[in-house]
Amino acid sequence: MKVLKVPARTIAVFVLPCLLLYVCLVFVPILVSFGTSLLNWDGITTAKFTGLSNFRDMFWNDPVFWPSVRRTLLYAVASMLEIPLCLFFAILLSRYLKKGNTLASIYFTPVILSVVIIGQLWKTIYNPTSMGGMLNGVLIALGLDSWTHNWLTEPKIAMFSLYFVSLWQYFGYHLLIQYTGVQNIPDEIYEAAKIDGAEGFKADRYITMPLIVPIFKISIVLAFIGSLQAFDLVMVMTAGGPAHATDVISTHMYNSSFLSLKYGYGSAIATFLVLLCLVCTAIINSIFNKLEKKYS
Amino acid sequence: MVNKKLWKRTSAIALTAVLALSLSACGGNAAKNNAAANEPAGNGANSGSSGEKITITFQNIYPDPATPSYKTIHALVEEYEAAHPNIHIELDTLNTDQQKIKLKTQAASKEVPDITIVNPAAQMKPFVDAGLLAPLNDMLDQNGLKDTYQAGLLDYYSFDGNVYALPDGNNIEVVYYNKELFEQAGITKTPETFDEFLADVKIFKEKGITPLAIGEKDSWTGSFLFMNILLRTNGGPGFLQDVMDGKKTFEDPAFIEAVDKFQELVQAGAFPDGATSIDATAGGNIFKSGQAAMWVIGSWETGAIDASSVAGKVGAFQFPTVNGKGDPNEFMLAPGSAFAVSANSEHLQETKDFLNFFTLNFPKKQFENKNAVGLGQKVDGDLKAAGYSDLAINVAELFNQVKGGDLAFDNTMNPATAQVHLSSIQNLFVQKVESAQVAKEHHTAFEANKQ
Amino acid sequence: MRKIKKGVVYLLFAIPVVTQLYPLLWLLLYSLKTNEEIMSGIFFALPKALQWHNYKDAYESGSYLKYLSNSVMVTAITMICVILLSSMVAYAISRFRWRYGGLVMTVFLMGMMIPMQATLLPLMVIFKNVDILNTHLSLILPYIAFSTPIAVFILSGFMKSIPAEIEESAFIDGASIYRIFRSIIIPVSVPPMMTVCILTFITIWNEYILAATFISSEKLKTLPFGVYTFVSQYSVNYGAIGAFLVLGALPVILIYFFLSNQITKGMVAGAVKG
Repeated sequence: MKVLKVPARTIAVFVLPCLLLYVCLVFVPILVSFGTSLLNWDGITTAKFTGLSNFRDMFWNDPVFWPSVRRTLLYAVASMLEIPLCLFFAILLSRYLKKGNTLASIYFTPVILSVVIIGQLWKTIYNPTSMGGMLNGVLIALGLDSWTHNWLTEPKIAMFSLYFVSLWQYFGYHLLIQYTGVQNIPDEIYEAAKIDGAEGFKADRYITMPLIVPIFKISIVLAFIGSLQAFDLVMVMTAGGPAHATDVISTHMYNSSFLSLKYGYGSAIATFLVLLCLVCTAIINSIFNKLEKKYS
Repeated sequence: MVNKKLWKRTSAIALTAVLALSLSACGGNAAKNNAAANEPAGNGANSGSSGEKITITFQNIYPDPATPSYKTIHALVEEYEAAHPNIHIELDTLNTDQQKIKLKTQAASKEVPDITIVNPAAQMKPFVDAGLLAPLNDMLDQNGLKDTYQAGLLDYYSFDGNVYALPDGNNIEVVYYNKELFEQAGITKTPETFDEFLADVKIFKEKGITPLAIGEKDSWTGSFLFMNILLRTNGGPGFLQDVMDGKKTFEDPAFIEAVDKFQELVQAGAFPDGATSIDATAGGNIFKSGQAAMWVIGSWETGAIDASSVAGKVGAFQFPTVNGKGDPNEFMLAPGSAFAVSANSEHLQETKDFLNFFTLNFPKKQFENKNAVGLGQKVDGDLKAAGYSDLAINVAELFNQVKGGDLAFDNTMNPATAQVHLSSIQNLFVQKVESAQVAKEHHTAFEANKQ
Repeated sequence: MRKIKKGVVYLLFAIPVVTQLYPLLWLLLYSLKTNEEIMSGIFFALPKALQWHNYKDAYESGSYLKYLSNSVMVTAITMICVILLSSMVAYAISRFRWRYGGLVMTVFLMGMMIPMQATLLPLMVIFKNVDILNTHLSLILPYIAFSTPIAVFILSGFMKSIPAEIEESAFIDGASIYRIFRSIIIPVSVPPMMTVCILTFITIWNEYILAATFISSEKLKTLPFGVYTFVSQYSVNYGAIGAFLVLGALPVILIYFFLSNQITKGMVAGAVKG
């Protein structure tokens, strides 16, 4: 509820410091990037203005671009599909445990570790049999020899191996968000429902679900944006290889800018990424707005 | 509750920072002009008075304290600072990848450190074209520095008659092999033809020993090996140059044959499983821990091998001929990473003076630190007498046989084409591809990125 | 029946405990092994003898303390500024009646879509022109800027739920808006602030691309940069790499477990309509 009428000067004091810093260091640079996307520039020598030709190349001539977009979107979908599972766990946690906090915090642990550690760990898990990889070791011990793979280097599988690491790492993150959301629902509502005969999963269907929609949205949006920008994990584990089989938009952007020295082209990819984020977030928002209306 | 004073102070600081920043960001051009105007004045003052404290930033790629290069650079810097109390050398030590990215970012804002590291030929060309590097001709004439370099070596760092960088070494690609594992497999002589090489690979594979160590996550490693095959199938050096001159294309039979041969290696199981997810360092460790029989890599690894657990068991030989083609004494040449000076350095003269001292004493220090194999400069001293290993002497002998050779792909072609090449070769590690298709990929990329 | 159900649920709870805590255990074991034990690749093996000297090696060759103190300083200043600046904005957005509130919020939300890597080069140019390259300011400022969107997002969500009566009565008592903000809003917003703290802390503590690019002086470098360099280049002793990773992660683990109860309170406080 917006209540306070304050003079413009006060608003300025509250908003401007942060806004200015933010605009100068986040907005201006990305606008500059939009500008450089119109250049043929290696980042070092003199740039040449080439209009939209970077975008033309990107959409029609780059064999790596569209597959990387597809992988990125799949990444996003996979991480969104994880959230219902997190919600399910969150409901169970709050129903069966008094001190679910502790467990939720434990589940969160992988989030706080640096991607360097996560990368090293999962590499030893995914290693080929000859290097003693754990996953293959377990499969062999179970007599499933034919299921063993070179998880990070078979082009058809590598990307899924990366998705899985990401899902594993962010499981606790989304669980925590959902869990606190569930915790915040006042007990009185459930008690009232109990009198009306709604208990257990029936209560979840009619109380938890509708009330959790806003939280659910937060999770979805965070998961979505996070996976569209997925970068560090891919860099550490495969660097986009083998032969671009695990390239996502952001690694393709980075490699184009700094390895192929096509900075203008890299900026075009960055522009595309930002726009993609905006459009998709807008779509998610409108879907949820409808949902919220339906429930309230 | 937040302390009132603290709150006030922090917010004041934050506000000033924001304002300062936004002002200067908007007035970026003005600031730039100012800096430019100040520069010559500052320069004059510095060369005039020696009392002023001067800091020279030295970006380098030797972060591992266990390596001789690290010891060399630190010893020389300390020595110089002791002799010149007014000069401080700030070492910005990064790993190779970080340094490449950082330098490119710095170059975009014309903020190159006083001394930095560049790679030879095609890789340093953009920096030279942008006027970011200072010519070092005058400095090379001081104290006879120029004569310490091997004949022809500085050509890789010269453009239009000016030398822009001084290499830290000059290496060749050799095949290191583990004598113990060769004995175990019953192989008595090192392979001289590709067929023998392939046969040995199969023997090792059968015995459960990794035939060839590699860390193909860093895709230059596979390319370096591939180029050696190409050097042979082409019957001599110059293939890439011919392509650039328009005399040949990537669809030339020599190139296709090289791709075929490389695929034979992959199909024979020459490389470790999951090679494309192994870092270059980790790949090297497969050999250095005695798990692989051979390692095709630059001679710069000699010192590191001697410091590893396989020391004393390792020898080196030339890459074999392929289908009777090529001369084993033609090598893949790897003129080293090189020290370059920023053209916009505030202390240009002092930086050059330091680099003169540094490069003049570099070979002697490297020699003392047991890292003289692959030096780009002449050094007095006998390896044997100085206690160098048999391997080092073995490699030094190979050096004496060098008749010529080629530079690595990314040192010859422009970066965009090189990236396509690197990933195309990386792809061969994970799936069989029609060789003509590989050639076509190269051809398309080359045509698309021609300047 | 009920008991069986409960057993199944507890089992379900136990699985993620194992999988999510495993990395910590793995890392700890890794850091206490010899090279041979690590290279042998056997996945779950206890080290024969605990190699504590790995820690000594890591500590001695990695300039740990220097990097650590730099990181602590950069992170602390960043967090204070993020909390302060973003709660001011969040307050203005959620409580003031003004025309551009929604617009400002949207602008901040858009910031979440901007990948940091894309701003590397423009930031370099800006920092060169204001001449703060190679100072801690060149890290602190972008860290603040990139942390504010999520902070504003979380804080404004919370502040919307603070009952308006509290402010109104304070207003009638003649308190200034600054005073209300300082002595009412900030104290009640501590839980979501903790959440913001932890999220900011995790991101900044592990950031190394900007750190490697904008800082050149050895004495100013931060811990994640040190960890990254150490890991990628220190080839002789894997155990020491593990030890350095443990040392690098230690502060964040400690802080997290101290504050973890707070984070559950603040994460989405106020987003649910009660």
